[in-house]
Amino acid sequence: MTQTTTVVTPERFDRALSYADYLATIAVNRDQFQHYYDIARLTDDDVAFFTKTAALPSGPVKILVIAEAWCPDVFRGVPVFARIAEASGMTMKVVLRDENPDIMDEFLLKGKARAIPVAVFYTRGHQYITHWTERPAVAHAEIARIRAEFSAVHPTVDLKAPTGADMQTMKTFFDARLPQRYPAWQVETVREVRELLVAAMAAA
Amino acid sequence: MAGKVPIVYTIRGCEACVKLLEKWNADGIAYEERRAELSQATMEEARTYGSAVPIVVWPDGRVEQGFQGHIGCYII
Repeated sequence: MTQTTTVVTPERFDRALSYADYLATIAVNRDQFQHYYDIARLTDDDVAFFTKTAALPSGPVKILVIAEAWCPDVFRGVPVFARIAEASGMTMKVVLRDENPDIMDEFLLKGKARAIPVAVFYTRGHQYITHWTERPAVAHAEIARIRAEFSAVHPTVDLKAPTGADMQTMKTFFDARLPQRYPAWQVETVREVRELLVAAMAAA
Repeated sequence: MAGKVPIVYTIRGCEACVKLLEKWNADGIAYEERRAELSQATMEEARTYGSAVPIVVWPDGRVEQGFQGHIGCYII
C-alpha cells in the first residue's frame, strides 16, 4: 500500500457510491445491514471524539469503504462506519472490491489478503490518514478460541473442509457461540478506529 | 435437491471457488454453478448447507464445503 501515490483520487472518491445508494444496489443481505446498523451504538464520548477529530485541520472528513454485500464482516462492520460518518459529519463512500481490484490492491491485509471491509480515512485535502480492515483483533481471537473448543469436542471434524453432517454440527456449534459476540465486536471496531486515528494524527 | 450433476455454490471473488471450478473444468466435470451473491434466495439456499462457499452438493446427496484445505468465503 502507498499513501504518496494512490489510485483513490478525489474524483474517484466522489464517484463512489453513497451508503444509501450502495444499499439500494445490493442483491443480498439488506436485512442484515439494517439489523447491524440498528444495533450499532456510539457512546456520547465516541460522538464527541469523531466530531472533534473531524473538525481538526488535518482531521478525517472522508471514509472510503471497500465492500461486498455477501461478506458477513461487511454487513456487520460497515454499518458501524455509517454510524461514525453520520455522527461526525464525515462523508462515507463505498466501492465494490471485485470491481475495483486496483483499490483493493492498495489495502491488502498483510500485503496479500483481499480482506474486507476496509475503511480508509482521508483529510479534507484527500491525504491518507489511516485504515481499518476486516474485523477487530478480539474477533479474530474469539473465533480462534471457539474453533479450538470445537476441535476439542469434535476432534475428527476437518474444520477447513467439513462434509455432510459435520457441516450442520459445526453450524450449530458456532451459531450458539458467535452471534452473541457481534455487538461487542462492533464496540471494539469503534475503539480500534479511535486508536488508529489518534496514532496516525499524532504521527502526522 | 440432488440432480444429475453436482451443484456448487460459489461467490464472485472467492479464490477457493475459482480454484475448484478451474480443477473441475480441467477434469471435464459437469456441474451447475449457483452464485450465492446474486440473489437472496440462492444465498439462503447455500446457508442451509453450510457457512462458507464453495459448497458442493453431489447427486447422491453428499455435501462438502471448502476446497483442498481452503475454507473459502464465509456467507454467515
